[in-house]
Amino acid sequence: MKNPTVNLRDLVILIADPNAYARRITNGILRGFGANKVLEAEQSLGLFQVLTGQKIDILLCCTRLPPHGGLAVTRSIRRNSHNENRTIPILLMSSDTSESTIKNARDAGANMVVAKPMSPKGLYDRLGWIAFNPRPFIDTETYFGPDRRFKIEGYPGGVGRRKGDKQLEVAADVGPALDQNDIDSLFSAARKGQPDA
Amino acid sequence: MPNDAPAEARVFHPENRFDRMARRPGGVAREHALEAAQAHLEELKADFDDWINVELAQLAASLSRVESHPTDLSAVDAAFHGCAHLRDVGGTMGFELVTFVAANLCDIIDALKAGAVFDKDTIECHLSALALAKTERYRHLSPDQVPEMTAGLRRISQIASIVPDDTVD
Repeated sequence: MKNPTVNLRDLVILIADPNAYARRITNGILRGFGANKVLEAEQSLGLFQVLTGQKIDILLCCTRLPPHGGLAVTRSIRRNSHNENRTIPILLMSSDTSESTIKNARDAGANMVVAKPMSPKGLYDRLGWIAFNPRPFIDTETYFGPDRRFKIEGYPGGVGRRKGDKQLEVAADVGPALDQNDIDSLFSAARKGQPDA
Repeated sequence: MPNDAPAEARVFHPENRFDRMARRPGGVAREHALEAAQAHLEELKADFDDWINVELAQLAASLSRVESHPTDLSAVDAAFHGCAHLRDVGGTMGFELVTFVAANLCDIIDALKAGAVFDKDTIECHLSALALAKTERYRHLSPDQVPEMTAGLRRISQIASIVPDDTVD
């Protein structure tokens, strides 16, 4: 991926993390990137209060957000058809980078996962990826969220193929913990004819 | 006659303010954005020592409660969350060794939830390692630079994470 310039000025960014110091860190990093409208929530209740009170442009949510976790929050946002924030980009922050967690995040409707501890570079590039590589949304009986078809593993387990989908090779299993490149590859939309990374 | 045909997926491109606004010209160039973000982190480092000292004290207190009440899952959860705070923040602030030791201790606490036996020596060893990892001498080191320490901690965490057979269904 190229490294395009991301303009965060006037975008409303919500950080949801139970760790106050981690929120300060993320907030500081975003302000370094040029963000000037950063909101914070320490648990799901506060997050949903913010979401119902105003329009958010992107959510950065910790997977350990109490009480039910960031994956449940993501599912809830995506499944609520009356929620005007239903299609906002959701970037999950997780220290658990096991393949199952990353796949669960993807299947919940997250746009990306960034591994904790975060680096400014890692966060900037993921924000750039979301902005410059938007994926179409898929609305089915069982899923609502960004297209989950990815170039490395083909079609997500348990999700039926759609009409017009082409055959892709499925990669071999990887170890229990994924590094950021592996995580990204699970969120990288398949492009016809593009070789696997 | 039932219709077994799968429902068609609706594929659409939602109007997305983030995509549109973030691509506007006039943003902070990546190199400068990263420098500015790092400068913010440097400012935060001023009170990181205070923060980590408070977190370590709270973690030690939480683990002490776990020792007294090993079946109290709320005490175990509190210890886990405290330890996870250290793990999640250390690396970002340049304390990679803190993240390594805290991650190791998180695994041990996780094993306690599954029925592993609380071993005071193992816990104290990790708390001491955390206290060491935050010192001026060690804070800039990566786990690779202290292989004996990291290998030793990994080994004792493996042993401490063994769940006795009689606790497994």
